[in-house]
Amino acid sequence: MGAGDGPRSDADFQSRSSSLPGIARTDKATTEDAELIRRIRAGERELYYELVAPHERKIYIMAFSIVRNEAEAEDCVQDAVLKALRHLDQFRGESKFGSWLVRITINEAKMRLRKLRPQLFESLDDTDNDEGDEYVPQTLGDWREIPSETLERTEVREILVRAVESLGEIYREVFVLRDVEGQDVATTAQILGISEVAMKTRLLRARLQLRDIVAPLLKNGAILSRQPFKRGRNPWL
Amino acid sequence: MAMTCKEVWREISNYIDDSVSPELREELELHLAYCSHCTAIVDAVHNIIVLVADGRTFSLPAGFSDRLKARIKKEL
Repeated sequence: MGAGDGPRSDADFQSRSSSLPGIARTDKATTEDAELIRRIRAGERELYYELVAPHERKIYIMAFSIVRNEAEAEDCVQDAVLKALRHLDQFRGESKFGSWLVRITINEAKMRLRKLRPQLFESLDDTDNDEGDEYVPQTLGDWREIPSETLERTEVREILVRAVESLGEIYREVFVLRDVEGQDVATTAQILGISEVAMKTRLLRARLQLRDIVAPLLKNGAILSRQPFKRGRNPWL
Repeated sequence: MAMTCKEVWREISNYIDDSVSPELREELELHLAYCSHCTAIVDAVHNIIVLVADGRTFSLPAGFSDRLKARIKKEL
């Protein structure tokens, strides 16, 4: 692989200030990551999985949300993780290791998607750029809290996962980073290379669209409709 | 002047993320106190966020970690 093919240095994701809670724990994790990276570079390469393990779930979810296939997402994660290992010397600690790894995974997943389904990728590129139109939520009536125990039911989890999959790409990636993985506003914007304002605009749209998709299917803890999501724009469903 | 529904929708995300000013929060809550449509939207969005953040919704395939470890080991 030539130098130009590798992941970008983390200097591209310079940290922005964040006043969100939980930052102390993040700092601790970042310090631990830095120590592991130092030791791996010094020759203890067998420690690499230990560095990656805390991030494996979030990079898998990110990859899955892009390629929408479990096996493909897993291959993608493995390739991204190895790519990060080969380019670990380019990581200068100016962003969190996890953010850098997520960025590499996103690039890997998009590259795979382009190869697998080039026409689909082009059509998504064209149709995702509709941020200018204000989203008007549907009138769907009351929604009572759905207890988390509902998630024991496979069909409920499937409804949520498929609803997220059905979002346009720019909305899906913001939603997955922010609401599924719990990244903070600044980190989400950094990873995607967009402004915090743009990130928030996309997140609002994603959340409202999801509500319109999911609310008619899940209400009061019961599944009101078993109808599959409409085909058309998302032919993979 | 009281907020319209359209103005409330623009702020729903920020309201749920607790990133609105105290003044704006007060205005939003004033609107939500009488608007059942906007209240339903806020409740649903909040609920969906709680459900998708639960580790059971998006989980790793069985054996994922072992296979990743093995692939790394092969590379080393």
